[in-house]
Amino acid sequence: MLMMSRREGETILIGDAIEIVITHIGRTRVRVGIRAPRETPVIAREVKLVREENRAAAVAGGSPEALTGLISRLKPGQAPGSGNPG
Amino acid sequence: MPSLNTKNLGAISWEPASEIEFPCGLPGFEDRRRFVAVHFGHTDPLIFLQSVDDAALCFITLPIRAVEPDYRLSVREEDLALVGLPTDRTPHIGEDVHCLAVLSIRETGTTANLLAPVIVNLKNLKAVQAVAQEGGYSHQHPLPTEEMAAAC
Repeated sequence: MLMMSRREGETILIGDAIEIVITHIGRTRVRVGIRAPRETPVIAREVKLVREENRAAAVAGGSPEALTGLISRLKPGQAPGSGNPG
Repeated sequence: MPSLNTKNLGAISWEPASEIEFPCGLPGFEDRRRFVAVHFGHTDPLIFLQSVDDAALCFITLPIRAVEPDYRLSVREEDLALVGLPTDRTPHIGEDVHCLAVLSIRETGTTANLLAPVIVNLKNLKAVQAVAQEGGYSHQHPLPTEEMAAAC
């Protein structure tokens, strides 16, 4: 990974079309301005993780067995029967 | 009363006033704006977030403090403003907002998304799935497995 030190107000160029400006450096966060072509999506990495996780969550809801198992684990005192080999 | 034959929950009907509105949808489902929260006695404490625009779209959720009793909200001002909450303070779970963790059920185990809880403003039922700013929470927080539950 390329590492660069920048001060507030300084800029990084990526190719000809993308410009990243360090607009503010706070105690625990930096504020970054991004100039990029309209067709280049710019999102925080967490948003991509959440998007992928939501897609997985939306399709994985189906199985009734998975749900039953989940509920039995969530309800205290109603653990699955000890004689159940599953 | 509106009703819908859903893929996962069967036929449901609901009061229009109980609809939850996500002004920006959820990440990955930006065009799905209206949901209802459905719960059944036999699946308690699960809450199903069912889209009223898409019969096949349903998220399985848990109240976030059922997953993480000490969960601390950390919401961006933009997200607070989006659902009409004051931006100068953190909302209180249970008083100002409902806070739900979306579950992913996989063969390898069930995880809860604590990184991006669903936050519902109790006053107007507007909601947002907001990526937490602090706290180091995971988008795949493992729920206890049967083995772990048995050891308790």
